Amino acid sequence: MSAILEQRQSALSELSPRLAEMKRRIRAGEHHRFRITDSVDILAECELEGLDWTQRSARLTRRLCEAQTVVIEPDERIAFTRTVKRIPALYRPEQFGELLAGRTFHELGPINNICADWGMVLGQGLLARRAAAQTARTRLAGDREAEIFLDAAVETIDAVLELAGRYAAVARAAGRDDLAEALQRAPAYPAASFHQALQALRLCHAVLWLSGHYHCGLGRLDQYLWPYLEADLAEGRLVLAEAQELLEEFFISLNKDSDLYPGIQQGDNGQSLMLGGVRRDGRNGVNPLTAMALEAGRKVALIDPKINLRLTRDTDLALLANGVQLTRIGLGFPQWCNDEAVIPGLVAAGYDLEDARDYTVAACWEFIVPGKGMEVVNIGAVSMPAAADRAIRAGLQAGEGFDRILQRAGADLAEQVRALADTSRKLLLPPAPWYSVLMDGCLERGRDLSHGLKYNNFGIHGAGSANAADALAAVRALVYNQRRIEPARLIQALDADFQGEEALRSELREDAPKVGNNDDGADELLVYLFDRFADACVAAGDNGRGGRYRPGTGSAMYYVWLARGHEGMSEPTVGATADGRRKGVFFSSSLAPSPDVQVRGPLSVLQSFGKLDYRRICNGGPLTMELADSLFRGTEAVDKVALFIRAFARSGCQQMQLNTLNVDTLRDAQQHPERHRNLVVRVWGWSGYFCELDETYQNQIIGRHIYGD
Amino acid sequence: MSASVTGVVFDIRELTIHDGPGLRTTVFLKGCPLRCAWCHNPEGWSYEPQVLRGPNGDRVAGHSYRADELASILNRQAPLLADGGVSFSGGEPLRQAMFLEAVLERLEGLHVVLGTTGFAPAEDFLRVVRRCDLVLFDLKLMDPEAHRRWTGVDNRLILDNLERLADSGLAYRIRTPLVPGVTDTDANLRAIARHVRELPGRPRVELLPYNQAAGGKYAACGLEWRPDYDETVPCRTDLTPFQELQVDARVL
Ligand code: SF4
Repeated sequence: MSAILEQRQSALSELSPRLAEMKRRIRAGEHHRFRITDSVDILAECELEGLDWTQRSARLTRRLCEAQTVVIEPDERIAFTRTVKRIPALYRPEQFGELLAGRTFHELGPINNICADWGMVLGQGLLARRAAAQTARTRLAGDREAEIFLDAAVETIDAVLELAGRYAAVARAAGRDDLAEALQRAPAYPAASFHQALQALRLCHAVLWLSGHYHCGLGRLDQYLWPYLEADLAEGRLVLAEAQELLEEFFISLNKDSDLYPGIQQGDNGQSLMLGGVRRDGRNGVNPLTAMALEAGRKVALIDPKINLRLTRDTDLALLANGVQLTRIGLGFPQWCNDEAVIPGLVAAGYDLEDARDYTVAACWEFIVPGKGMEVVNIGAVSMPAAADRAIRAGLQAGEGFDRILQRAGADLAEQVRALADTSRKLLLPPAPWYSVLMDGCLERGRDLSHGLKYNNFGIHGAGSANAADALAAVRALVYNQRRIEPARLIQALDADFQGEEALRSELREDAPKVGNNDDGADELLVYLFDRFADACVAAGDNGRGGRYRPGTGSAMYYVWLARGHEGMSEPTVGATADGRRKGVFFSSSLAPSPDVQVRGPLSVLQSFGKLDYRRICNGGPLTMELADSLFRGTEAVDKVALFIRAFARSGCQQMQLNTLNVDTLRDAQQHPERHRNLVVRVWGWSGYFCELDETYQNQIIGRHIYGD
Repeated sequence: MSASVTGVVFDIRELTIHDGPGLRTTVFLKGCPLRCAWCHNPEGWSYEPQVLRGPNGDRVAGHSYRADELASILNRQAPLLADGGVSFSGGEPLRQAMFLEAVLERLEGLHVVLGTTGFAPAEDFLRVVRRCDLVLFDLKLMDPEAHRRWTGVDNRLILDNLERLADSGLAYRIRTPLVPGVTDTDANLRAIARHVRELPGRPRVELLPYNQAAGGKYAACGLEWRPDYDETVPCRTDLTPFQELQVDARVL
C-alpha cells in the first residue's frame, strides 16, 4: 500500500486542464443552455389510469427520465447533466388535503435527508434489484400493496435503465466507446471498474433528485468504492493518477445541477459523504481512497460534495494532515466525526453495533446508517434560550431559589419536546419507489421505505445551548451568589432590551462565567440543559413509527430563526436574554461559545463541550470553530492543526466543523462581490458561495469567534 | 516557592504554532528589558497591566495571576496537551523569574518550553531553565554594537547565558527572527552559524520570517510604529550560511 501512497503523492497538486475547464464551465452555468423549458405534466395520465400515490411516484420518475435529453460533453468521462428543470406535482393542490387526512408533510414532502445503500446498489446492479422485486412479487402474490409497490419499483428501474441506454447510444454514436461501455454495463450490472461505479453512482443519485427527493446523501464513499479501484489497480487497468482525476470529475459533476435543488440557501443541499472510520467488523476502514477523496475535495474546491472524515485518537496523523490541507482552503470541509463518541451514542440509542460502526451523516451532521434508516433527523428544534429565559423570569418573579429555575428550564424543555413529538406523530411520509430500490430489504419485503426501515428515529436539534447556559450562569453568579443584581431590575432590563441599562448588560457579559472557557460555572449548566433535553426525548417515547426521539446538539438555521422569528415556525422565539444578549442578535451556530464572549482559545472550547454526555445526545451537531487563515502561515501549521484534531478526539467531543477564514476578505467580498464569486464559506451543515448568501448570514459568519489571529 | 506569588500575564494563547514542538498553549509574561526595533508585542514591554485602545474599544493587557492559579489553569489542559505542552514567552519571561519558577514547580505532567532572550541574571536563568524541557534561545545579532543599536541592550550577558545553557546539557534550540536588512544579512547569519557550530550539543537553529503585521499593536499602546529598516523588503530565508557549516537550520 505504501507504493500506492507514494504514487498518490506524486499526482498533480492542481486540477488537470481538462477538469479546470469543466469546473469553469459549470461555475459559469454554461450547461444551463441544455435545460429544457417545457415542463412535464403527469397529472392527466395518472388520473386517467387511476394511479395511486406509489404508482404516481414511479410514473414521475419514469416520465422525467424519459424527458431528460442526453448531454455528453466531448471532454466528459462521467456523463449526466440534468436538463429537466421542474419536478411536476403528483396531485392537484386541492387533493393534498384529502391525501394528508389531517396529517402533515415533513418540510416539502418528498423523502429527504437519508442515505441509500450505494455499496449494495453498485455491487448488485439494477437488473439484480429488478429480479429481487420480481421474486418478491411472485412470493407475495395477492398482497395488493406489495404488488403495487413492486411494480412501481420495477417501473423506476426500467426508467433508469432506459435513460442509461439512451446515454450509451449517444456515446456510442459520438465514438465514445469507453463511456458507452460504462453506461451499458452499469448501472444494469454490477460495476466492473472504478469508472463504471462512479458513472452508475452519478446516474442513480441524480435520478433521486429527479424524482423529487432532496438532501440525498452519498454515504461512505471510500468504503464502497475502494473494492473497484483496488481491483482496477491490481489488474493494471487503471493508474492512480487517472483514478484521482476520475474522482475529481465525479466531485465536479455533483455541482452541475445544485442550483435546481431545494434548500434554505443555495448550497444547503445535503450532498454529503463520509470518509474513514471503522468497518462494520470494527477493523480500520481507512484506505487509499480516503486520502484521495480529501485531495479531490481540496483540488476541486467547490461546495459539493460536503466532506466528512471519521477519526479516533489513534488515527494516523498523516491522514489528519491530509484533512487539514482541505480545512486550510476554507470550504469548511472536512467535518470531523469522533468515532469514540458517535458509535457508543448510537449503540445506546438502540443501534446494533455493526450498524453503528457503519454510520454516515445525513445532509448536515445527523448520524444515520446508509440503507437502513428511514429517519427524520430534523423534525424541529428546542429553543434552549427560550427555556432558560422563561424559567429565569418565572423563577425570579416568584422569588424562588436558583435550583427551582433549573427545574423550570428542564420542564420547559420537556414541554417543547412534547409539542414537537405530538406534531411529529402526524408526519406522513410519502411513497418513494425509486429510493426504496436503493435501500436494504424494501424489495425483498415488498414494502416501500415510507413504511419504515430498520431504524425509524426522529431527531430534534438543541439550539442556542451556549447562550442558554450563559444566561443561567449569569443569573446564578450575579443575582443569586453575589447578589449584585436585583431580580426586578434584571427583568425590567430584559423587557427594555437593555435600553438605559448598558452597565447591567456589560456586567452580565463580562462578570459571569461563560461556556467555552472550561469553567464549570457555566459548563455544568450546559450539561444540565442537555441532560434534561435527553430525558425529555426518552420520556416522549415512541414516535409512532417504531422509533424514538434523538436529541442533538445542532442548530441548523435555528440560530437565526429562534432569535428573529420565522414565518410558519412553531418553535418559540425569545427577546433579550440574561447572558446580556440583545433582542434579535443571533445565537451561536450549533455548538460554539456565545457570540462576542471572551474565550481563552480552542482547547478550552474543546474542554467545555467535551463535558457533554454524547452517549445520550446522538443526533449530531458540530462544535463549530473558525481558524484565521493567518494561522496557516509557516511550515509547521498543518501538523499542529492535525494535533489539534487529535486533541478533539481526546476531548470526548463528538463532531467538529473547523472553518478557515479571513475577515478582511469577507468584508471586501461584501463590498465587491464581483471580485469574490468563488469565495466559499461554511454556513452550518453546508458550505455556500459567500456572495450568494443573505447579508444576515454573511454578518453572522464575520462575527464568529476566530482563533489564531 | 510560595503559591501566592503573583505575576502578570498579557495573554494565554491556545494552539500556538511557533512556540515549540506539538500542540501547545503559550503563556505570555509581561515585562521585557529589550526594545527590539521589530518587536510585535509592545504590550509585553512594561511589567504593569495597561489599557490598549483599539478601534473596537479598550482592553486591558495584563492580568495578575497567583502562581497556583495559573498552574491550575494549565494543569487542567494537560489531558489535551499530551502531544505537546505549555510554553512561556513574553516579553521576557525571566523578568518574572520567581513567579515563573513557582508556576513551573506546580505543573503536572506537562512538557515545558521556555522562550527567552537570555537577558537575565545568570542565577535566575539557571534556576528557571533547569525546570524546562526545552529552551528556545533567541540569538538575534552577533555583533555587540548592532545588538545595542537594534535591541537596546548589549549581548554579552546573553552569550554568557547561552554558554551556561549549552554546558547544562539541557535541550535547547536557537531562535533567530529574520528582520529584513537587520538580522537576515549574510554576515549576521554566518556569525550565528559560526557561533552555534562551536556550542556543545550543536543545537538546531530555527529562523522566523519577518511578519509584516509587526506594527499592528503600537497605536493601541499609545506608541508610534516607525521601523528604521525597510519592512516592505521580503526577508531572506537563505539557509546556505548554516548548511556550509553543517549547522541544522530550518525556516518556520
Ligand atoms: S525581546 Fe521580544 S518582547 Fe522584548 S522587545 Fe524584543 S521582540 Fe519585543
